[in-house]
Formats: sequence, structure tokens, C-alpha cells
Amino acid sequence: MAAITNLFRAVTYRGREGQIAWMLHRIAGVGVFIFLAGHIFDIFLMAFGPEVFDTLLFFYHQFLFKLMIIFGLYLGVLYHALNGIRVVIIDFWPSMNKHQAGLWRVQMVIFALAYIPSAAIMLSRMFDGH
Amino acid sequence: MQATSPARPRPASNFELYSWFFMRISAIVLFILALFHLVYMHLVIGLDAITFEIIAERWQSPGWRLFDLFLLVFGWIHGANGLRIVLDDYIHPQGWKVFVKSILYVVTFVLIVLGAYIIFTFRT
Repeated sequence: MAAITNLFRAVTYRGREGQIAWMLHRIAGVGVFIFLAGHIFDIFLMAFGPEVFDTLLFFYHQFLFKLMIIFGLYLGVLYHALNGIRVVIIDFWPSMNKHQAGLWRVQMVIFALAYIPSAAIMLSRMFDGH
Repeated sequence: MQATSPARPRPASNFELYSWFFMRISAIVLFILALFHLVYMHLVIGLDAITFEIIAERWQSPGWRLFDLFLLVFGWIHGANGLRIVLDDYIHPQGWKVFVKSILYVVTFVLIVLGAYIIFTFRT
């Protein structure tokens, strides 16, 4: 219950672009980190040879997992990467601070231009039967 | 930012400064490496085409092994350091903080060792 109240307060807190940018950055970062833990471990399984590795790879070929890659991992990494670059620009070039909200909007346009076509290609591949 | 905010006391160690700097530098490195990795594996090769054979072939080249090692070290350390900051924000009791961070550091050590082990020792 406290979590729901906190979530509501977080969303309705009037931090505008900067707060939304920060919140998404954090959620995406933690999500990618959790994926990365599994990913390092599954590549380590290369040590056990092709039978074991290719058998366990079935996980990556699941329909649901592919959807999670496109709408979770890929989306999260791309957002976190672009927002991270914006943070780097502002930190190393403090006069950009007053433009941070505008920069975020520019960043989201770049995000949409990069994400939508590439996600569409990944999605169409899923239904191509390979 | 208030104009009247008092000056912060000088921290005893520069660790957080180095941590901040590392996050920016690794962000730029990962922007190139991680995005290239994702686009290459998912758009050029495609998830269904990835098998033991494909990765074994890739690791014939020391360049790809180095690329993967960079991804492993920069990616995980950047992530672990980021999570350290997140944990500091949300976990307040000192005991829990130490406990959860200890788990993070142990997992970090184990995964870097496992990942580096397979990158360096893999033979077909």
C-alpha cells in the first residue's frame, strides 16, 4: 500500500521532464542490469559445449522472450543510452543545464526515430518464421 | 538550487568523484559498444540464428574476444555502480544496506570471473 502511495506521489510530483527522464533512466537501468546478470551466465554456459548451450538457448527462442527483448531490453537500453548521453553533455558542459528539458524532447524524437523502425524490423522477423 | 545553500563539507575520500567520472566515461564507451552489440546481434544476425557454432566462430577472432571482454567489464561495472547508488537511495537501515551491497559485490566478482573465464579459455 505504501508502495502504491509512493508511486502515486512520484508520478504526480511536478518534476516535469527532468523527473520523468530520471525515473525512466533508473527503471531502464535496473531492468537492463537484471537481464545482464542472466546474459553473462548464459554465455558462460558455452564452457559446457554445444549440446548443453544450444538446449538452454530454447529460452531465447520463446515468443514471449522475444517480445520482452523488443519492448523491454531494446527499448530500455536505447532510452538509457540516449538519456545517459544527455546527462554527460549537461555534466561536462554546464551551460547546457538551462536547456535540459528541450534536450530531453530532442532526445525523445531521436529515440522514436531510432526505435520504431528497428523494432518494426525485429517484430516482422518474428513472424517471418525464422 | 538556492543561492544561500551552505558549502558542502569536503568528503574524506575522492571515491565518489571517481565513481561519477567513471560512469560518464563508461557511458560513452557503452553507448558505442552496447548499441552496436544489440543492433548487430538482433538486426544483422538475428536471435534465432545465434547458436554455439556462431559464437565459437566469433571467438576465433581475438578482436571479438576483446570486444566481448570490454562489454562484460564496462557493462557490468557501470551497472553495478549504478545499482549501488540506487540501493543507497532506497535502503536506509545500515545493516540492510551493508548486507544487500555485499551481495551485489559478491555477484559482481562471480560474474566477472565467469565471464572473463569463458572469454579467455574458450576452445572448440
